[in-house]
Amino acid sequence: MKKFESEATQTLLARNLISKEQYLQIQAYRSLNIFSLRNELRFLLYLSVLLFTSGMGTIIYQNIDSIGHIAILSFILVVTIICFYFCFKNAGNFKKNETAFANPIFDYLLLSATILTCTFIGYLQYQYHPFGTHYGLATLIPTLICFFCAYYFDNKSVLSIAITGLAAFVGLSVSPPALLNNTTYNTTSLSYSGILLGIALVLWTIYATKIDLKKHFNLIYFTFSLHLISIACLNNLLEVYWYFFEIILGLSTYYFYRISHKMGSISIFVFTILYAYLGFNFLLFKILEQINPEYLVTPLIFLTPAYLILSIVMFIKLIKNFNKKTSNDSLQ
Amino acid sequence: MIVYNKSLLDNTLFVDEASSLKESGFIDPAQYQTIIGELSTLKRHKNILIRLGFFLLGKFLYSSICGMLSIFSINFENFNDEILLFVYSIIGFVGIEFLAKQKFYGFGLDDAFLLGAQLLLFLGVGITTKGNFLAVFITIAAASIISYLRYIYLSSALLFSLGLTGSLAYLMFEFGDIGKSILPFVLMLFSGLLYFSAKIALKNIKLPYYSKGIELVNSFSLILFYLSGNYLVVRELSVLLLKKEIPATQEISFALFFYAFTIIVPAFYLVYSLIKKDKIMLWIGFLGLAFSIFTILYYHHILLPEEALTISGLALFVFTYFSIKKIKNNETGLTFLPDRFSNSNSQLNLETIVIASQFGLQPEINQEESPIKFGGGGFSGGGSTGEY
Repeated sequence: MKKFESEATQTLLARNLISKEQYLQIQAYRSLNIFSLRNELRFLLYLSVLLFTSGMGTIIYQNIDSIGHIAILSFILVVTIICFYFCFKNAGNFKKNETAFANPIFDYLLLSATILTCTFIGYLQYQYHPFGTHYGLATLIPTLICFFCAYYFDNKSVLSIAITGLAAFVGLSVSPPALLNNTTYNTTSLSYSGILLGIALVLWTIYATKIDLKKHFNLIYFTFSLHLISIACLNNLLEVYWYFFEIILGLSTYYFYRISHKMGSISIFVFTILYAYLGFNFLLFKILEQINPEYLVTPLIFLTPAYLILSIVMFIKLIKNFNKKTSNDSLQ
Repeated sequence: MIVYNKSLLDNTLFVDEASSLKESGFIDPAQYQTIIGELSTLKRHKNILIRLGFFLLGKFLYSSICGMLSIFSINFENFNDEILLFVYSIIGFVGIEFLAKQKFYGFGLDDAFLLGAQLLLFLGVGITTKGNFLAVFITIAAASIISYLRYIYLSSALLFSLGLTGSLAYLMFEFGDIGKSILPFVLMLFSGLLYFSAKIALKNIKLPYYSKGIELVNSFSLILFYLSGNYLVVRELSVLLLKKEIPATQEISFALFFYAFTIIVPAFYLVYSLIKKDKIMLWIGFLGLAFSIFTILYYHHILLPEEALTISGLALFVFTYFSIKKIKNNETGLTFLPDRFSNSNSQLNLETIVIASQFGLQPEINQEESPIKFGGGGFSGGGSTGEY
């Protein structure tokens, strides 16, 4: 409600919390009565890319035998090239720090171009097997193209596609639904590759920070890495070597806890704590299992509320600590 | 009626305002920190992840307390189980009252207690009345409005709107088939009344506390109005309620009216919201329009779904491209320039997640089947995880 917002601003002025000058600036800006459709129009662009590429993908998939393959391939290729042409034409030179297109529409053209490239190469491999049985190559090449585009044009969405491609190359499916449905790790050996990939991503981030290359990508790398490592560990807690994974989880918790403080990233903070809490509860469960559990049922039921209250108090403390640290960071 | 200390509640709103001033760059973070230091507020979490986390913890705590009580009740023989639900519900209300007195407002824990208490109450009423939905919905409406007035949670305002609508619908069912047949028109009338009363209330309230809830009721009535006249909803509901199959070739009565309604209402919302500069109505209008297109394609197979996707994608792109071009550099009013007050990064992050869900590359396990999944249709996706 606009009425109450300006009333609140007035009170802030009356209590000398903002200066007269600031108040006048705010009032002047509000009286412009700006109705910005920036987010809405960007969303529409994004939606149009999503609709178009999904529709194209399905049409190709369903008509895979009826339309000529060459016709489909050349159509995708032409659209891709057109999209890329406009992106390259409108992009500035490569810069190491954050850049953006002057008009956000090109971000979405780039997105279509990269998605269509993936479709193109996938279709090509399906039909003509240019990479023979080197299936890894068929994943690696679109991944490399995505990485190149992500860095050259500075696009986070493309970067996340590239990372999923990298994980797919290792044999993992790390799309968010796969992570949520716990289908990422089918075997223990995949967990090891997941953990290694997570560590590799962290190492790359450290290196990129050192050479000052696209530091704003760090958050995405850390997010993927955190989820990869933690879910791999949690998944293996029921296996024989659970203590090994418990140790790794502990180490990664320590590392990401510090990272979250350093970057002031709430999402990394929350998920680190969440995974750590799950791991800790599992450890507790293992310890209780060693003691004869039959004695413990009744006392446990009475102790649970107390334990939960204790955890809540701990969480509140952690959050307070986080707020204190990060606001200090933003003050500097 | 409000449980919280008034000056603390006021301060909370002032800090909200200061925070939005900080986000929009009118005051610097240092000044914001001083303001936070000066004003003591209620305890809450604005970050949805943290609030959700505490919500889960609160749920565990609440259920563990209830579980503890169940152990005692096992010892009584012939104990009436239904009473237990009400006892649990009372515990929840005691919990929220206690937390509110401890200055918790939107912290997560308190949400868990309030919602849990309400749901258990509704469940209890449902079981004791042997599934009388009218009674349940009336309870929902009554309990939610009381808790909204006392604790000011938006969830209660939403429950109130749902409860009120449900009560009206089930009241109409009491009149048999006639009531069911005229239900769409009654609901239209009801949502219109709700809309205008919310509008008047919004204009006349002096204190800011309830403004968000009334806005929510306002938006709710817009959605309800659209849905109560949407062709698909009316048709499917009349099949469901009147238990009468309508063959695909046959139209429902007043079909033309409902078709016109389906198209005109969202279009009107869009135009009116642009004139009135109402963001929420704009979004409702847009979603309504999308649903209207779906409605028409659902009954008239003019296009295959994938063709519809491709064509609408292209059309949307062209439309957006020209809209951006048109309003790109307006300094006031409608513009593509960012608004300092609502320039958030969260949308971009959400896009990244959805992209990774939808188009992320899959490993090559079932090689013979499909090497790389083509981006399939449909919008299942982890868009709601809110990871970044």
